[in-house]
Amino acid sequence: MRSYAAQRAALAVVQLAVLSALVFVLTALLPGDAADMRYTETLSPAQVEQLREQLGLNQPALERFADWARGVVAGDLGTSLVSGGPVLDIVRASVGATLVLTLATLAVVLPLALGLGILAGAREGGRLDRAISSVTLALSAIPDFVVAVLLVAVFSLRLGWLPATWVGSTGADLLTHPALLVLPVAVLFGRTVCLLSRQVRAGTVNALHAEYVVQARRLGVPRRRILLRHVLPNAAVPGVQELARTGDTLLGGVLVVEAIFAIPGFATALVSGVEARDVPVVQGLTLVLAVAALLINLGADLVCNRLVPRTELLR
Amino acid sequence: MRALLRRTPLVVSAVLVLVPLLVALVGPVVARSLDSRPGLPYAAGDGHFLGTDGLGRDVFELLLIGGRTALGMALGAVAIAYLVGGTIGLVAASTRRRWLDELLIRPLDILLPLPSLLVISVVAVGWRASPLAITLAVAAVNIPTVARLVRAAALDAASGPVVEALRMQRESWAGIHLGYVGRSVLGPVAADVGTRITLAVFLVASVNFLGLGLSPTAPDWAVSVSRNREGLLLQPWAVLAPALMLVAFTLGFNLLADRLVSRSQLRRGLEPAR
Repeated sequence: MRSYAAQRAALAVVQLAVLSALVFVLTALLPGDAADMRYTETLSPAQVEQLREQLGLNQPALERFADWARGVVAGDLGTSLVSGGPVLDIVRASVGATLVLTLATLAVVLPLALGLGILAGAREGGRLDRAISSVTLALSAIPDFVVAVLLVAVFSLRLGWLPATWVGSTGADLLTHPALLVLPVAVLFGRTVCLLSRQVRAGTVNALHAEYVVQARRLGVPRRRILLRHVLPNAAVPGVQELARTGDTLLGGVLVVEAIFAIPGFATALVSGVEARDVPVVQGLTLVLAVAALLINLGADLVCNRLVPRTELLR
Repeated sequence: MRALLRRTPLVVSAVLVLVPLLVALVGPVVARSLDSRPGLPYAAGDGHFLGTDGLGRDVFELLLIGGRTALGMALGAVAIAYLVGGTIGLVAASTRRRWLDELLIRPLDILLPLPSLLVISVVAVGWRASPLAITLAVAAVNIPTVARLVRAAALDAASGPVVEALRMQRESWAGIHLGYVGRSVLGPVAADVGTRITLAVFLVASVNFLGLGLSPTAPDWAVSVSRNREGLLLQPWAVLAPALMLVAFTLGFNLLADRLVSRSQLRRGLEPAR
């Protein structure tokens, strides 16, 4: 177990190094820079050139990467080209809303997905299983933004029960206005629950057919005990692995949901950064997201190894 | 009667996939040009079969044209992902040189946690919403998973007794690897293609919906949903028609993929997971 954790952590460190270089290359490759985007209409070419020099945009890419990497190691993500403030402030200001949104979604999704998956898998082929399986399959095929548009139309515009946007509110208002969270979480939760519960169901079905469960049944171990002690840990493994992959789906969903409900979170900051070619902001936010994804993957692998200690890292 | 009932899902999913696909293929040919005579914004009826959108354009004509980018980019991306990722996976699985396997697969492991919508958005904005750039970006984020899937499926087949027997019969390399291993990979691949196409349609649509992809007036199903959503209560068809096309396509492909998964599990002697 310990050597597995060590190997897996080492892989994560390598991943981190490569990812940060990749983030830099990808954003540095963007045609057009902040100087172009802001001033081509009002300034002469010579003045744009001067601004570029001032912002340090005309140095060789390798030098800029070295500067940036040194800063990142020291905990400094650079300075925004548009606002002139530190990128870290932008990260801090936007992380709250996104974190609340994601955690609230997971708090609803996880118990429901485990419950539905095991319920469906425990009686494979039964009426309940078929009902749950077909509903989750159908729901997982509807794009988030279609769900969002329809929910807003019905519950905010037609019925007026829930707020349609977050305009004028910040992450701190959430505790006083939980109604703000209802529609965004509803949108995010649909697809995630479906994807996860299907994996848990498949894991349950596989575990129920395994020989150790058949043997336990022969020995007369009560069904509830078999389900909880033997099936559940094995069934959770594909679920946890899927959760790490769902992180990607969830993040995509968060981007869409933040745009629709005008939530002042990570995605909103990122989209405006990309549009303004504010390269340090995009780099900083992307790096934070990549590190988060990395940690989720690391955590998922370690949890799986703990649940079923046979997952191998090195093939 | 029972046989008919068992077939129904197949027919339903085929219809769900084929209707949007046909609209996307044939629509651009039969559609009239859009700019000829813009009507009132969000008009219902008024000589237009499905009314007009926020710019006064005919929703039905938009529907006919909008599938080309919405489905074409996603299908192209999956094709490229399989061409590149599939080749990497097959080579990694069939090589006897361990270092080549490691060299091909390890870098992809490192790329896995890169958030896909983020990569695509950055590329889409950077290259001024070029459909080719978006297609390539969607393909790129799919390559690591495709390569791993194909490699795992091929290893499964290549390490079995059948390949051993073929080798002892002095079957040629191509006979073993293309004839047997390649064929046995097709089952898992077919199931994966279905879900992957759904995912690619989602990614392309999300980027376009966010306004980071195609231009906001482009005739594209996802762009239409985004543009006309404030008029949903005035003229629901401007949003619902393109949304229904997208949902039908992804739902149909999900159903087809689900069938293929249960069938390939049946063949391996496992219980079908419906």
